[in-house]
Amino acid sequence: MAEARVVERFKKRTVWFHWIHTAAFLVLLVTGAMLFLPGLGGPAAGGLTRSIHRIAVVFFVGAPIIYFIINPRMSLHFIKETLTWGKDDIKWLMLAPDYYFGGDESKMFPQGHVNTGQKMWEFIVLATGIIFVVSGFFMWVLKDVLSPGVFQWCVIVHDVAFILAFLMLLVHIYTGSLHPRMTESLRSMWDGKVSKTYASSHYGKWYDEIAKGKN
Amino acid sequence: MEISRKDFLKGAAGATGLLLLEPPAMALAKDSQTHLGMGMLIDVTKCVNCWWCYAACKEYNNLGETVKPDLEQPPALAPDVWTTLHPVNKGGEWVSRKMACNHCTEAACVEVCPTGALSYNKLGFVQYDRDKCSGCGYCAEFCPFGVPQMEANKTTGVAIMNKCTFCHDRVTNGEPPACAAACTTGAIKYGKRAELITEGEERVASLRQSNTEASLYGVDELKGLHVMYVLDDSPATYGLPADPEVPPATTVRDIFRWLGSGLAIAAVAGFGFNYLVARIRMRGREK
Repeated sequence: MAEARVVERFKKRTVWFHWIHTAAFLVLLVTGAMLFLPGLGGPAAGGLTRSIHRIAVVFFVGAPIIYFIINPRMSLHFIKETLTWGKDDIKWLMLAPDYYFGGDESKMFPQGHVNTGQKMWEFIVLATGIIFVVSGFFMWVLKDVLSPGVFQWCVIVHDVAFILAFLMLLVHIYTGSLHPRMTESLRSMWDGKVSKTYASSHYGKWYDEIAKGKN
Repeated sequence: MEISRKDFLKGAAGATGLLLLEPPAMALAKDSQTHLGMGMLIDVTKCVNCWWCYAACKEYNNLGETVKPDLEQPPALAPDVWTTLHPVNKGGEWVSRKMACNHCTEAACVEVCPTGALSYNKLGFVQYDRDKCSGCGYCAEFCPFGVPQMEANKTTGVAIMNKCTFCHDRVTNGEPPACAAACTTGAIKYGKRAELITEGEERVASLRQSNTEASLYGVDELKGLHVMYVLDDSPATYGLPADPEVPPATTVRDIFRWLGSGLAIAAVAGFGFNYLVARIRMRGREK
């Protein structure tokens, strides 16, 4: 029985949310980069890409709001998890280099539903998401009200958020789909499931909890 | 030839391979900035507020009908107003500075334009290609003189920039810009910038015999404006910033652009390295 060998890691709606948000972010990233890297500016001529940027924002902001309304408890848990940091995180960071460079798996202590690295990514998504939306709102809606100086720094803040989010996105894509140790990570974001072996070796603490039926 | 900071950064980024996608046409469109070339000299002491420059600009550039404005309520620069007067009431007597794009040698608008729509012309003025404008409005927000004007739809973000073109087609055919041709008193002079500096300095020297406030504005500002002013009062009186500069945010953006590109390349290289090491070590243990 195949079903018995896997556990649910993400709900279907979480998977949907993940990919809608990803698509919106990628559109924003590409159309935004056109105004950040002069070499990529060509296609921005005429302003169509700036309109697309605005349309993508509706999904980028709308998707988390709808997700929150549907799953308030899960969303609050996610936010709480993202903002909770402790000694274990420092311990994880110390062990991470060896772990990610293919060291002995047993040296890494059992992790909860997400590890510190994933939490860092969640934090960046949350923080830069807010920074993007606030600075973007200023530049879009309040353009005529703001002094040129404030506008200029909004551009810079938007740029910095872009760099942070883009760099961490690269790390996320690499560790989530290409890293030799993360064999089932991408799959888990596709059908929401991972094998029990993968769950217990990568998220031992979480696996023990769901095995006991706590979840 | 001097290499500007922007060219240097672009070169550096290009060398690292990130900007290989740059369309060659864009690289070509950017003539280097020059403080030489042509210019205009505006002498406020010769202006008689006739508004002919304003009317001629509108007429030549097809910017719509106009009536002679009131000095008390001068029209502001707008998408269809590329030049206007900045009138100052001096004890009942009106003295006006003609205002329009100053065509800086180091122009903030060109530095921040992401699409290459704004560029330097060999003759020294700041030209733009409407077809390349993305409507982002950075030029309008970064210009220290507040010159570029956006024609914008706020919701869709579709916008286009407008400003004085220095009458591009006339100037490149050896004719003066429409405003200079229309000026009845010699308050607007068009010519070689180097010669206009000499002329302006002589004029200021003679004004200074009775007025110590007189000055020539635009010789060194932003590495040299291509529109310079003979003023009989402080620049601020005529709505000109005493010390205009390319906003520091421009440099900060360049640094972040460089830093971000570098880190992204380093990250990708790091992943390749990590992948190899991790695989080798993991395989080694499997055996």
